[in-house]
Amino acid sequence: MTTGSLILIGILQALLVALVAPLFSGFARVLRAKMHSRHGPPILQNYYDLFKLMRRQEILPAQGTAIFRLAPFLTIVAAQLAAMIIPILVTQSPFGLVGDMILVVYLLMLIRFFISLSGLTSGSTFGGMGARRELLMSALTEPLMLLVLFVMALLAGSTNLGVISNGIATGRVPYYATVWLGMISFAFVAFVEAGRLPFDVSEAEQELQEGAMTEYSGRGLALMKWGAYMKQLTVVSLFLAVFIPFGSMSTLSIPAAVLALAVFLLKAAALYLIVAILENAMARVRFIKAPSVTWIALGVGLLSYAFYLVRI
Amino acid sequence: MAPIQLLLSSVLVFGAAAVLSLMFRKSSRTARYVSGILGMIASAVGGLAAIEVFVFGPVALELAGIPAFGNFVLLVDDFSGLMVAMIAVLAFATSLYSISYAEEYDNRGAGQLGFFNNLFIAAMLLVVSAANAFYFLIFWESMTLASYFLVIFEQEKKESVRAGYLYILIAHIGTALIMLAFFVLYKNTGTFEFSSFREAGLPPATKNLVFLLAFLGFGAKAGIVPLHIWLPRAHPAAPSHASALLSGVMIKTAVYGIVRLGVDLLGAPVSWWGFVVLLFGILSAVLGIAYALDERDLKRLLAYSSVENIGIILMGVGIGMVGMAARLPVLAVVGFLAALYHMINHAVFKGLLFMGAGAVIHRTHTHNMNEMGGLARLMPWTSLIFLVGAMSISAIPPLNGFVSEWFLYQSLFVGSTADLEVLRVFGPLAVMLLALVGAMVAMCFVKAYGTTFTGPPRSQKARQATEVPGSMLAGMGILALGAIFLGLGAPIVTPFLGRIAAGLGGVPEEILAKGIQVFPMAGSQAVLSTPLILVLLAALLSVPLLIVWFLGGFAAGHRTESDPWACGYGYSPQMGVSASNFAQPMLLAYQPLYRLRTLMQIPLDGIAAFSQNVNTRLPQAEPLVERWVSRPILSTVQYLGRRIQSLHMGDVRMYCLYIFVALAVLLIAIFR
Repeated sequence: MTTGSLILIGILQALLVALVAPLFSGFARVLRAKMHSRHGPPILQNYYDLFKLMRRQEILPAQGTAIFRLAPFLTIVAAQLAAMIIPILVTQSPFGLVGDMILVVYLLMLIRFFISLSGLTSGSTFGGMGARRELLMSALTEPLMLLVLFVMALLAGSTNLGVISNGIATGRVPYYATVWLGMISFAFVAFVEAGRLPFDVSEAEQELQEGAMTEYSGRGLALMKWGAYMKQLTVVSLFLAVFIPFGSMSTLSIPAAVLALAVFLLKAAALYLIVAILENAMARVRFIKAPSVTWIALGVGLLSYAFYLVRI
Repeated sequence: MAPIQLLLSSVLVFGAAAVLSLMFRKSSRTARYVSGILGMIASAVGGLAAIEVFVFGPVALELAGIPAFGNFVLLVDDFSGLMVAMIAVLAFATSLYSISYAEEYDNRGAGQLGFFNNLFIAAMLLVVSAANAFYFLIFWESMTLASYFLVIFEQEKKESVRAGYLYILIAHIGTALIMLAFFVLYKNTGTFEFSSFREAGLPPATKNLVFLLAFLGFGAKAGIVPLHIWLPRAHPAAPSHASALLSGVMIKTAVYGIVRLGVDLLGAPVSWWGFVVLLFGILSAVLGIAYALDERDLKRLLAYSSVENIGIILMGVGIGMVGMAARLPVLAVVGFLAALYHMINHAVFKGLLFMGAGAVIHRTHTHNMNEMGGLARLMPWTSLIFLVGAMSISAIPPLNGFVSEWFLYQSLFVGSTADLEVLRVFGPLAVMLLALVGAMVAMCFVKAYGTTFTGPPRSQKARQATEVPGSMLAGMGILALGAIFLGLGAPIVTPFLGRIAAGLGGVPEEILAKGIQVFPMAGSQAVLSTPLILVLLAALLSVPLLIVWFLGGFAAGHRTESDPWACGYGYSPQMGVSASNFAQPMLLAYQPLYRLRTLMQIPLDGIAAFSQNVNTRLPQAEPLVERWVSRPILSTVQYLGRRIQSLHMGDVRMYCLYIFVALAVLLIAIFR
C-alpha cells in the first residue's frame, strides 16, 4: 500500500473511532439494562447527551487552572493519534512512521496524566479521589499491557503494531499457547478499560474515571466523555489489532474497505457484548480489591511469557 | 583558543568566582552577583570547550606532576566532552538562577554559598576530564567536600547536619572502594595513568575485582539501592540551585566513573558485569520511585526520583555492556545511547524541577506539599515551567523523557531477540518493570504538580505567594527549552549521541536517524518521530474544535463558580486530595514494597474499651529496603568506626608504642 493511501486510512480510522465510540458505549448501556431487566436508554442516548451538554453553559470551578480547560481537548487528541497508529482497518500501521506500540501505550498514559491532573485541579474531593484511582489503575494495568505486547512483538519480530497485526493475520505467528494466554491477559486490560466493572457501579460511574470529571459541565463534560469513549474504543481496537486482526484489509480497494469496516464493527460489538455479560455476572467489589483481580491477569500474562520462553 | 585551554580557563574563572564571592561576603548582594555572573561566563567558556571537542576531536594536556604519581593528565574525548557540556549547561542555568535565589541567604552566608558552589562546579569539570587516577581521586574528593558544605549549608537545621554526616559517611565508603580499585590497578600496571590501565592485559580475576570495587564505590555516590539512603536526605538539604547540581550532574559523575572504568578502561569483557549493572538499575528504578510516591516533602520526592532515574540510566549502561561483551554492536550502541540520552535528559528536567521547587520554597518557605496548592494562579510562569519538567520526567510524548525511555525499550527488545539466554529470559520482565516505573512516575508527578500548583491553597503562605524574579525564571526557562529541544530534536540529537555511544562501545557507528525519524537500528520497522507527533497532535486539535463548532458549543460560553461540589456542605480546602493521602491506594496495592508501621496506638477507655477491635492508631509507610539493608550497612560502618576510634586514647605513651610496633613490623617485613 502506498504511503498516501495509508495516511488516508489513518485519517479514516481516527474519524471512525471519533464517530462510533459513543455508539458502542451506548450499546453497552443497553445490554447492561437488558440484563438488569430494565428498559434502558435508547442505543443513541449517548449522542443525545453529548449534543445537549455541548450547548449548555460551562461552569468552571474557581480553583481550576488552564489545565482544567485543556484536558478534554488533549484527551481527544491523544486518543485520535493512537487510533491513527493502531491497525484498525488494515493489517499495517497506517501512521507507523510516527511511532510504535510503545508510543500508543504512552499516549494512553498522556490521557491518564491529564485526566487525573484535571481532577486534582478542580479541588473537588471526588476529583482527587478519581485522579488517584485512575493512576492506580494505570500502575496495575500498564505493566501487564506492555508485557503482553512486548511478548507479541518478540514473536512477530518488531514493535511496529502493523508487523504484529500482519504476523497474526497471515499466520506467520501461529496461535499457540503464548498467544492465547496473552490474549486472555490483555482482554483483562481491555475489560478494565472498557467496562471498569467489577470496581464500578453501573450507571453511576463517578467512582473511577468519571470521578475525575466531577467538576466538569457543559462543553467540557461533553468533550471529556467523548474522549473517554474514544479511549475505550482505542484500547478495544488495540486488542483486536494484535490478537484478532482477521477481516482487515491487506490490499486497498473499496469493497475490501467496506468489508473491513463491517468486520471491525462486528468484532468490537462482540467484544462489548462479552464485556457486558462478564461485568454483570461478576459481583461488584470494593475498589481496593482491584489489585487482586489485576494480579490474576498479571499471572496469566507471566504464564504467556513463560510459554514464550520455552517456545510452546 | 584550543579546547583544553578553554576548559582550564573555565575552571579558573569558576575558581575566581569562588574566591571573589568569598571576598565580598560582607556585602551579600555583590557576592551573589559576582558569583552568579562569573559562574555564567565560566559555564559559557566550558560549553565552548565541549563544542570544540565535538567538532575537532579529543584533546589532551600533559603536565609534569608529583613524581610518585605520574604526570598530571587531562583528556577530553567525546564522552568527557558530553559530561562537560552537561555540567556547563546546568551550571549556567543555576548560576543565573542563584543571583536572585541566594537572596534567601543574604546575611546568612551568601558569599560562602557562592564560594562552595563554584568550587563544586570546578571540581566536577576536573573530575570528568582527569585521566590520571591519583588526580582523579583528588578532584573527586574536592567535589565531595565542596558538596558536603553545600548540604550542611543550613547549619541551624539539625536535619541538614545529620544529612551531611550520612552523606559524607557513605561518600567515603564509596571513595575507599574506588581507591582500592585504583590501587589494584596500580599494583598491576605500576602507574596511575588511565591510558596504561587501558592497555594493560590484566588477568580476568583482577578485572572482576576492580570492576566490582569500582561499581560499588561509584554506586554509593550515584545513589543505587541499597546505598541510596543518603541521597533523599542530603540533596534536599542543600540550597535549591545546589540541589539541582547535586541531583542533575553530580550523581552523573558517578555514572561517568562506572562507564569510564568498566567500559572504557576495562572493556566490559564478560557479560555478567552488564547484568550486575542492569539488575541494580532495575532495583533502583522500581524502589526509588516507589518511595518517592509517599513523600510529602517536595524536594525529597524529587531526590527519591533521582534514585529512580539513575536506575534507568544504569539499565541502559548494563545493556550496552552486555552488548559489548557478547560482541553485538547494535545492542551496545542502543544500550549506551539510551543511557547517555537519559543522562542528559535527567540532568535537564531534574535541574529544572529542583529549581522550580526552589522557587516555590522561596515564596512559601515550606517544603511540605500539604501547605502549598493553588500556586499556578499566583506563579503562572513557574507553574508552566514546572509542568514542562513534570511532563518530561513522566515520559509524556513528544517530550525528551519519552525519547530516552523509548530507546531503552528498544534496547531491551534488541537484547531479547539476540542469542543471549539471560536477556531473553529477563528482557520482557525488565520491560514490565520499566512500564510499572513509568506508571508510578506519572502518578508521582501528577501528585507533585497537582498538589503544589493546582487545587485550593492549603495555607496562608500559599495564598500570599507571588511570582519569582526574572533571573530565576530565566534560569529555569533555559532548561525547559532544553527539555523541549531534546524531545522534538531527537532526530538531531540521536545521531550525535549515537556516535559517542559507538565510540564507548568501540564498535562502528550505526545509522540511527533519517529525516525526522529515529530508529534503534538501520532497517528497523519500529520508528519514532517526535516532530511528527507534535504536528499530528496539533493538527488533531481540529477534531474537538470541529465537534464543538458543529454542535454549537462555542455559543454556550462559561462562567466561574466559587466552590467545587461538596455534597451540599460548605467547601473547605482540606476536602481536596492532599500530598499525604494521594498515594495511599498505591501503598496498599504494592504493600510488599512498604511496611505500614504503626507509629502510635492508644487503647481506648470508657465504653469503647469493651470492643477489642476499636483502636486509635497512626500508620506510616516505611521503606523496607532502608530498614533491612541500608541501615545495617550504615550501623556496621559506624560500629567499626567507634572500635577504631578507641585506638585514639590520647595517651602519648600508647602512641609511642604504636610507632614502635609499626617500625618493628616494617623492619621484619624488609629483612625477612
